[in-house]
Amino acid sequence: MKKDLILNKNYLSYWLRQLRKEMQLIGPMRGFKGDFVFKSIGQIHEISLDCPASAPLPKEFVFPHVEEMFEKVFSEQEIKDLQNNDKRIIFGIRPCDMSAINLIDRFYSSKFESSYDLAHPNRKSEDSYYMARRRNTVFISIGCNNPDPTCFCNSVGTGPFLESGFDVQLTDLGDRYFVQTGSKAGKTITNSYRYLFEEAQRQDYDDQYEIMLSALTKFEKRINLEETRQKILAGKVRDSFWEWVSTRCFECGGCVYECPVCTCFNIVERTETDKSPRPPLRAMAFTKGGQGGIKGKRIRIWDTCFFKGFTRMAGGNIPAEKKVMRTKRWWFHKLLYYPEQFKRFGCVGCGRCTITCPGRIDIATISQKIKVEIK
Amino acid sequence: MEKVPTICPYCGCGCGLYLHVDKGIICGVSPSRNHPVSKGSLCVKGWNCYEFIQHPDRLTKPLIRINSKEHTTSKKNPPLPPFSKGGRGGINSSLVTHNSSLFREASWDEALSYIAKKLTKIKNTSGPDSIGVLSSAKCTNEENYLMMKFARAVLGTNNIDHCARLCHSSTLGGLASTFGSGAMTNSISEIADARVIFVIGSNTTEQHPMIGMHMLDAVNRGAILMVADPRRNMIAELAHIHLKHKSGTDVALLNSIMNVIINEGLVDIAFIKRRTENFDEFEKVISKYSPDIGEAITGVSADDIRKVARMYAAETRSMLFFSMGITQHITGVDNVRACANLAMLTAHVGHAMTGLNPLRGQNNVQGSCDMGAIPEVYSGYQNVKDASARKKFEAAWGVSLPKKSGLTLIEMLNASRRNKLKAMYIMGENPVISDPDVKHTIEALKKLNFLIVQDIFMTETAKFAHVVLPAASFAEKEGTFTNTERRVQKIRKAIEPAGKAMPDWQIICELSKKMGYNMDYKAPYEVMEEIALLTPSYRGILHHRLDDGYGLQWPCTDVNHPGTQFLHRKKFARGLGSFIPVHYLPPDEQPDEKYPFILTTGRSYFQYHTGTMTRRTTTLEREQPECTVEINAEDAEQFGIKNRAKIKVSTRRGSIEAVADVTDKIIPGTIFIPFHFHEASANVLTNPALDPYAKIPEYKVCAAKVERIHEERPYIK
Repeated sequence: MKKDLILNKNYLSYWLRQLRKEMQLIGPMRGFKGDFVFKSIGQIHEISLDCPASAPLPKEFVFPHVEEMFEKVFSEQEIKDLQNNDKRIIFGIRPCDMSAINLIDRFYSSKFESSYDLAHPNRKSEDSYYMARRRNTVFISIGCNNPDPTCFCNSVGTGPFLESGFDVQLTDLGDRYFVQTGSKAGKTITNSYRYLFEEAQRQDYDDQYEIMLSALTKFEKRINLEETRQKILAGKVRDSFWEWVSTRCFECGGCVYECPVCTCFNIVERTETDKSPRPPLRAMAFTKGGQGGIKGKRIRIWDTCFFKGFTRMAGGNIPAEKKVMRTKRWWFHKLLYYPEQFKRFGCVGCGRCTITCPGRIDIATISQKIKVEIK
Repeated sequence: MEKVPTICPYCGCGCGLYLHVDKGIICGVSPSRNHPVSKGSLCVKGWNCYEFIQHPDRLTKPLIRINSKEHTTSKKNPPLPPFSKGGRGGINSSLVTHNSSLFREASWDEALSYIAKKLTKIKNTSGPDSIGVLSSAKCTNEENYLMMKFARAVLGTNNIDHCARLCHSSTLGGLASTFGSGAMTNSISEIADARVIFVIGSNTTEQHPMIGMHMLDAVNRGAILMVADPRRNMIAELAHIHLKHKSGTDVALLNSIMNVIINEGLVDIAFIKRRTENFDEFEKVISKYSPDIGEAITGVSADDIRKVARMYAAETRSMLFFSMGITQHITGVDNVRACANLAMLTAHVGHAMTGLNPLRGQNNVQGSCDMGAIPEVYSGYQNVKDASARKKFEAAWGVSLPKKSGLTLIEMLNASRRNKLKAMYIMGENPVISDPDVKHTIEALKKLNFLIVQDIFMTETAKFAHVVLPAASFAEKEGTFTNTERRVQKIRKAIEPAGKAMPDWQIICELSKKMGYNMDYKAPYEVMEEIALLTPSYRGILHHRLDDGYGLQWPCTDVNHPGTQFLHRKKFARGLGSFIPVHYLPPDEQPDEKYPFILTTGRSYFQYHTGTMTRRTTTLEREQPECTVEINAEDAEQFGIKNRAKIKVSTRRGSIEAVADVTDKIIPGTIFIPFHFHEASANVLTNPALDPYAKIPEYKVCAAKVERIHEERPYIK
């Protein structure tokens, strides 16, 4: 109980400045005109912790849009691994995103409990590219005193404050931060600068509890994903409903790109040549001898299960040809398969899809619709 | 990692996005949350717009064609391998016969001196009007302005045009004579509050997805959505009423809608009396188009025509949207005039949440029109025949300017075929894929004595060039784009140009210096200052004003002007709005026994225009890797065509092979082909018949036949 710390707000920038000497510091900054973005921090005093809870998406620092995997010069034997081992500290991430990263960890790491791979029940699978980034990243998360109108993390148990699963979690108590450490990496970065922190007193715990209660009262959305799940499982949500949902889908992929939990990617090869036309993309195989190429690179880029080509087979057959099937697949993955596999929803209630979906068929809206319209 | 705010390079929506830059590499995109158009969303193209920027295919050095003599002697600069090999290299190899020639790399100095020498020689021997210039709707306002200045002041010709000729020239022509201004009258942010939205000839949700998003928001708030389109595309599926009229019958449809409005007394008489003219003559024509006649011509039931008329007229907040489905006809100008008549008849123009809204298809096609990259006007639509305007430009540029209006895009190609045009300078356009009747286009380009192509990739057009200049992409330069709602927005440099590529404005400046005209600008903001000086509607638009906001909507007449949300308030730009009666004329080519189908062309959601950018983007290319022909299931059955079977589509101009997409989304008797694919170029088929006023080709209608090809083929190439 006595492990938690207090950080005077005046000391924060000093602490971050020291940390930046050891690793890249990334945090929420003002973007263009009222936007906020997560990027490398130039001036520490410009960090914007007043940004809306759901504004930036820090997923890309552990799972980037485009990740270079390895490279081969065709004339040489050696394959050069392009795994990214930069040390990063990500400051100001929100509890929902932290929970999402914990979920992605389970998906990509050896902790992944494979219930599907019956032939190899104990097989350990690990995505080395993700894990390399993940192991080199420390997160300092900050609890949400003021959730956005689109947030519903309280409904899925991923916020506004976390009990565990963080490296360092800060709670804004007005003039000071209540600091909790939840991992070895978190302890290292606080213990090295222990002189900046004080031990939390009774009053601090009381204040923190009060802040948490007040944050909980500020949620505008009440989303019950479990109820939606039950309705889907009971077969009450008919195909005609999904048909309606899918007619409004723009196939932009925004919900997946913006989702802190989604992990779809596509693997492609790029041949760098002296200007010869690019050979057609073929997954998982270098083009023969490079076809005039001199160097090839395997990369992976974000992908979306909403796209037809996502599951196109070698013969050209597309299992989920109709848009409604693809829409349903995403929903079922989030609400049925995730709970089955990980005992958690594939949604952390960050509300980003509510903002980004041009068709307004995001998780919150549709859950609400199912709740109200389907008895 | 840095995140640079900029504007999407694809359609005319002008969405705000951030380019993610890490160590000089563009590694992602995220939407801008507060941007008035995109509001935190992007379409699939926007989300993937980062990938082509640093593609290995980018042109990085100037290239000069090696003629056969030089070929054998040049040892210093060994020739590069030919560009076109295999499927991805070039347009139907049968069409391209002199594609085997080679290019060699050159320095900027050499390439520009060579161009200057050649152009000067052609100008001196054959006259300035033997040179044609194509500007680009993909480039910034500053670059278009400089290109226009280059053509007029340096070359001394008004032969400058760009692809707006192929998309919205009929809008400019049609609206100039009715309203006095050819731009979208209202703003995107108003859409969500409209009560009736009438979309005609626009696949909004796929081609302007973020505008589609605003329309959907309006529908969510209770607005009525009406769509007129021969295809049941996504917006039509969401519509309350979908009119499936035959391609090319828009005038008949609109006239019969107006007939109902007049007969049922739904017109706004006060508006017509105060703000318009020529109503009586117009009424006489309209009286001939009863809904029953409309039904007979268009195939839309008279009842539906009445419903649409009543709904559109009865609400005060009715917005009318149109796009290529209206403009790309030989009656394009007439179609646009009919739309304008409809808006004026019901007073749906001149206030918020109404208006006539042409949706522009390219990021800066509005801007390049505004900048005067069209033969008949200078920037701000100041006519070249107007002596006072000409005098103003002559004074500012210090040269005397040609008095005669120049050639339009298609006319330039025709002139080249007749040996009237000797040289062309094409910036950021790919007419081999985008212009109608590819065979003729290629023939025209081959006849040129000298062709300069300035682009970011080796396009199908560049393969015919004598000099290819590498340009910088949107992420590698500063400047402004004007989106469809007249919003001038700033783009920002995120990375250095690829290799030795230079921003287009710099190339033009350097070239004109070599040709003896000193264009000296430090940066695009200096160009913008000159634009503001000479262009009344841009007078208040300066870079420093754009830095701290989401741009300004022209007309913006002085430095304190906040921009204009909607046009024609209190008064039309030309004074009184003019009713110009239009008659229904059938398309140039009608289906007959030999060619029984109506072929209509357009874009698909995942590809963009000639594919130079999208076909180099992994996700987009995967989603739509090949040309598909939409054909109605009934027709398919009749011709024994199965879904995904390979078919041959032919017209009087040529034929292509593509894959059938058997669907019920298109009406029987009509087929649809997207035009992005060089290996199956829809423009091999299209009819180059032109609208008499706007010279826009009829892309939307031609007669075609479909045959099954009996051949085994793998599904995916």
